[in-house]
Amino acid sequence: MDVKKLSKLTKWMETTDLEEITWKSGEDRISLKLNNNPEHSTTIASTMEPILAPSIGIFRFARPGKTNHLKEGASVKKGQELGVVEVGKDFKSVTAPADGLLKIISIEDGKPVEYGQPMFFVEPK
Amino acid sequence: MFKKVLIANRGEIAIRVIRTLREMKIASVAVYSQADHSSLHVRLADEAVCIGPAMARESYLSIPAIISAAKITGADAIHPGYGFLSENAEFSAACRDNGITFIGPSPKSIQQLGHKAEARKMAVKAGIPVTPGTKDCVYKDAAAQAAKIGFPIMIKAAAGGGGKGIRIVREAAQLENEMNMAQSESKAAFGNGDVYFEKYIELPRHIEVQFARDSHGNTIAFPERDCSIQRRHQKLVEESPSPAVNKKLRESLEEAAVKLAEAANYVGVGTVEFLLTQTGEFYFMEVNTRLQVEHPVTEFITGFDLVKEQFLAAAGETLSFTGGHNVPYLGHSIEHRINAEDYNRNFAPSVGRVEEWIVPGGPGVRIDTHVYAGYNLPVYYDSMLAKLIVWAPTRALAVARSRRALEDFKVKGIHTTINAHQLIVESPDFQAGKTDTGFMERLLAPAEPVKA
Repeated sequence: MDVKKLSKLTKWMETTDLEEITWKSGEDRISLKLNNNPEHSTTIASTMEPILAPSIGIFRFARPGKTNHLKEGASVKKGQELGVVEVGKDFKSVTAPADGLLKIISIEDGKPVEYGQPMFFVEPK
Repeated sequence: MFKKVLIANRGEIAIRVIRTLREMKIASVAVYSQADHSSLHVRLADEAVCIGPAMARESYLSIPAIISAAKITGADAIHPGYGFLSENAEFSAACRDNGITFIGPSPKSIQQLGHKAEARKMAVKAGIPVTPGTKDCVYKDAAAQAAKIGFPIMIKAAAGGGGKGIRIVREAAQLENEMNMAQSESKAAFGNGDVYFEKYIELPRHIEVQFARDSHGNTIAFPERDCSIQRRHQKLVEESPSPAVNKKLRESLEEAAVKLAEAANYVGVGTVEFLLTQTGEFYFMEVNTRLQVEHPVTEFITGFDLVKEQFLAAAGETLSFTGGHNVPYLGHSIEHRINAEDYNRNFAPSVGRVEEWIVPGGPGVRIDTHVYAGYNLPVYYDSMLAKLIVWAPTRALAVARSRRALEDFKVKGIHTTINAHQLIVESPDFQAGKTDTGFMERLLAPAEPVKA
């Protein structure tokens, strides 16, 4: 079976409500199964990368005694500390995942955050 | 009384606690891991906070994350449920140090009674019979100590619970090997490799007494629960009262529980577990310093709300009953733990989406569950789906009600232990109340050839 035939077959299959088919022709035999798991078929068009809270706690732009003047639109370096989440006596570092532009800051200093809450969005260069 | 309580747990027990809080007009805060965002406790609580990833170690077992969640939401108390951090003295102390009330006993009580060897010492001091065994943890001369007790013996983890870290040794030759296994198992499960020895009693019943005590010295011991039906040390069916306990034995058991609670100056609810031999002697086994899975059978026959008693005791108030150590009870109650396991495949865990979920109802039926149709079972936690609890005026009627309720229970999409419970209720031995800890093994064994 050639690729052309295969793509024709898959295109056709998408127009039906079939989830699984087996196609046989002489020596050729192929089974196709539709991936209808929504978790996997979702694609996000945005190029921005969210930075999620590494822990529940209180967000601070800087560690005690330090200052940090982050602004939207600033460029950030991979690994640069953007802030910390204070949990108990611990400070969990929040760092940029890549070199890029800090497009959105969606957190304020001193505010509580949940685990996994998006706090920044970075557009990688 | 508290204004807002955080529940440091998940599943049916989180919901159980939320229900009492709602009746007491106390606000509730649920915490959840990323794997539990669609769990029912998150929807039923007044507030919910995500505290970490799916792995319990970084969410439900993370003391800093839970304390932080309590502070952020302004909760003035934390209910730990059962399992997870419920018997963790360090957690109880962390709550205290952060000005949050831990709904449970003091760190000192948890340490004394939660450590099995320590609890045993206290039981001996209070004059409660204990199984013959080593007084302390075994670090050396294991062979001599085991011989002194006489085989068969049990090796138990000092920090253990839930059937983990228990090994049975029938002869001296197996001792060294089993001892190494028990120590490494205990080290892995509880972070503490200390073990001790106990005489192994053949086919005992597992009997336990629920007690509650307030800071004013009021102590109640509730009628015993019989939890003999177990598989691999995990309870499947619990009932109260026990068909094997008469009034005189009940009084002795309750008296022992009261003595122990008083000796430990315990505040809160707890459970003393005993082994009851075939000939009617009982031995102290251990204390659980938390609410237990099977607490509803006690609630059904006595009319108490044990979670409410926990809040009353923790708030420094008096228990709702202060008229002596014993409470009246009525009828008989049975609990069935329905797990997501495939009984036909040796109880292999079952995961997936619950396609259909129709629970029984009607007279004398209670269901405690966090499951609903469409719920996806996360693979990270224990397999319990629901507790089916029935009540009836007599044991025979309760068994009949169990049979009816199990038949009404319709689940599709995953395998459950409902059919295993049906097998139990159809068993003539169960119907006659003849159960012991070997019951399940006999029930599941291939049928013996009919004797001529």
